[in-house]
Amino acid sequence: MRAGPWWTIGWRNLGRNRRRTLITMGGLAFGYLAVVLLVAWMEGLTAEMIESATRTLTGQLQIHDDEYRPERKIYDTIGGRDGADVAALLRSVDADPVVAGAAPRVYAGGLVSSGAATTAGMLMGIDPAREVHVSNILNAVVEGHPPRAESHDIVIGLEMARQLGVGVGEELILVVPAADGSMGNDLYTVSGIFHSGLAELDAVYAIMSLPALQSLLALDPGRVHEIAASINDPWLAPAAADRIGTQLGATARGIEVEPWTRLRPEMLDYAQLVQAWNGVIIFIVFAIAIFGVANTMLMATFERRREIAVMLALGTTPFAVVRSILAEALSLGAISIGIGVVLTTPLFLWFYHAPPNLSWLYGDFTMLGALIRPVLRVEWNPTVWVWSGVALLLTALVAALYPAARAARIPPADTLSGL
Amino acid sequence: MRTTTILALLLVAAASTGHAQETAQEIIDHVDRIMRGESSHGTATMEVVTENWERRMSMEVWSLGTEYSLIRITAPKKEQGTATLKAGDEIWNYLPRVDRTIKIPASMMMGAWMGSHFTNDDLVKESRLIEDYDIDISFDGARDGVTVWELTLTPKPEAAVVWGRIEYQVRQDDWMPTWARYYDEDDDLVRTMTFTDFRTLGGRLVPAVMDVRPEDKPGERTTVRYESLEFDVGMGESFFSLRALRSGGR
Repeated sequence: MRAGPWWTIGWRNLGRNRRRTLITMGGLAFGYLAVVLLVAWMEGLTAEMIESATRTLTGQLQIHDDEYRPERKIYDTIGGRDGADVAALLRSVDADPVVAGAAPRVYAGGLVSSGAATTAGMLMGIDPAREVHVSNILNAVVEGHPPRAESHDIVIGLEMARQLGVGVGEELILVVPAADGSMGNDLYTVSGIFHSGLAELDAVYAIMSLPALQSLLALDPGRVHEIAASINDPWLAPAAADRIGTQLGATARGIEVEPWTRLRPEMLDYAQLVQAWNGVIIFIVFAIAIFGVANTMLMATFERRREIAVMLALGTTPFAVVRSILAEALSLGAISIGIGVVLTTPLFLWFYHAPPNLSWLYGDFTMLGALIRPVLRVEWNPTVWVWSGVALLLTALVAALYPAARAARIPPADTLSGL
Repeated sequence: MRTTTILALLLVAAASTGHAQETAQEIIDHVDRIMRGESSHGTATMEVVTENWERRMSMEVWSLGTEYSLIRITAPKKEQGTATLKAGDEIWNYLPRVDRTIKIPASMMMGAWMGSHFTNDDLVKESRLIEDYDIDISFDGARDGVTVWELTLTPKPEAAVVWGRIEYQVRQDDWMPTWARYYDEDDDLVRTMTFTDFRTLGGRLVPAVMDVRPEDKPGERTTVRYESLEFDVGMGESFFSLRALRSGGR
């Protein structure tokens, strides 16, 4: 396809004042870089938040009895009062292609006492061998070791250990209202202390082996409150939850399979808000760029007033003049994208593979109950690269509209006679 | 002349409110002390019915004034020996299975006591009604053929209490309570306590059965029935010690 003379004219006009052209291109390319990196950082922060929130303890999806949430009564175990075949459930969940691990859990509220001091705690019974594939909580044990299966080991948070004044190897008393109405109570040994960085977790959670908590609560071995599963890409969780739900015949059995997006809706809302913000950032950056490009194009067309007058006098249509100027602007934009991509790629790769750690500037912080590391981590999102390019071209085009319209209306006779 | 009349009226008004106030206080104070005396010792059974289970416990109860009480579970076997000591604002539990004594933290005062519909806070606060509440007689007359007072207890501004309002009904002829209704801060009924089976135990007329029903859990209840009760048994404060809590109250 032949480009036509207007493209050639537009393209060549870019070379008339190379310095000015390069400066304008530099501005647009920098705008591109700014947009792509800003959006990637914001998405990195969201991803960090979601991963932290789901990996610390929640998991990316959870299975409960449909009565369990939100009251979390100890009676509402999966499968109701009769319990369920937990091993079979775990096998079904594990069988899903995106699930990386699944673990059963039992929860109960109770008193944790060192004798001298007593505090209210959330007791959590886990299968240590399975739990490490689902959450990071056992990796957060900073002293001692995780609870061994079938033992009276208990692992508590750093803050709870401080409040109770106990260390590894010391004794704790647990008192819970058991499922048969009695007051379950027994002695346990602190086998480890965890530090998750989340204040609520560190002050309230006490983790022990699943059978130990079941026996304290007078619950049969088939009765668990939750099966949590991990999925490496959190965004695949909703589809996996639907799949597992169907596979288990969840609705008919009174079971609910919930991905983190439904367990932590505020986090999904936040992710969506960030996405909306991306559009706003693209808009603001390029709206500023429009004025810079428009200024350049006005200057360029003003300088070429006489030349355009000659073209018009020789019978060029005003529309053709507009086309040549728009072609000039589009060429400018296209080259700017090229420069932008060349500038952005190495920076992006650097942030992507070795995100700078800003913890020297400030420590970890929490957001929506998720612990966030202060690293400038970026997310790879090709859509943003493409859309920023499209926005850049549109910017160049919109900025050229007014100068082009003015150029098309240059009166040939007056201009050529030097008026 | 006119000033004198107004003054006189004001005086009469002041006198009458003052009188009513005192009577209301006296009634509640009497109700508070019915089951206690200076000191008391008794046995009771507690029946707890919930959506999930039903159970009965037998217990032995000692009290001294309004500040001290000690409750020891005597049956069933699983809980035998479990004891609760109330001393002032504090509640301690003794757990025989692990042979340990633990103090209930302030954050758990609203937790259920021994799985019943009583809270730990009830054990502490129940004896302080006249200190923590302003008491007014809201009704004085016949209900179902019985002459009663109905009293409204509103928390004093500085009182650290959990109820927004308590209503008491007390029979006028023998000053026996018939029911108490507990409302939260939004003025919604939370639970109803009913007193029945008035009989003479330890030489005093007492309501031998006390029944609590939570409003938000229909069908659930806790019923306490006193089997024996003796008053002024002559125990000292030393009886209500942590050592006594562990050793079995003897």
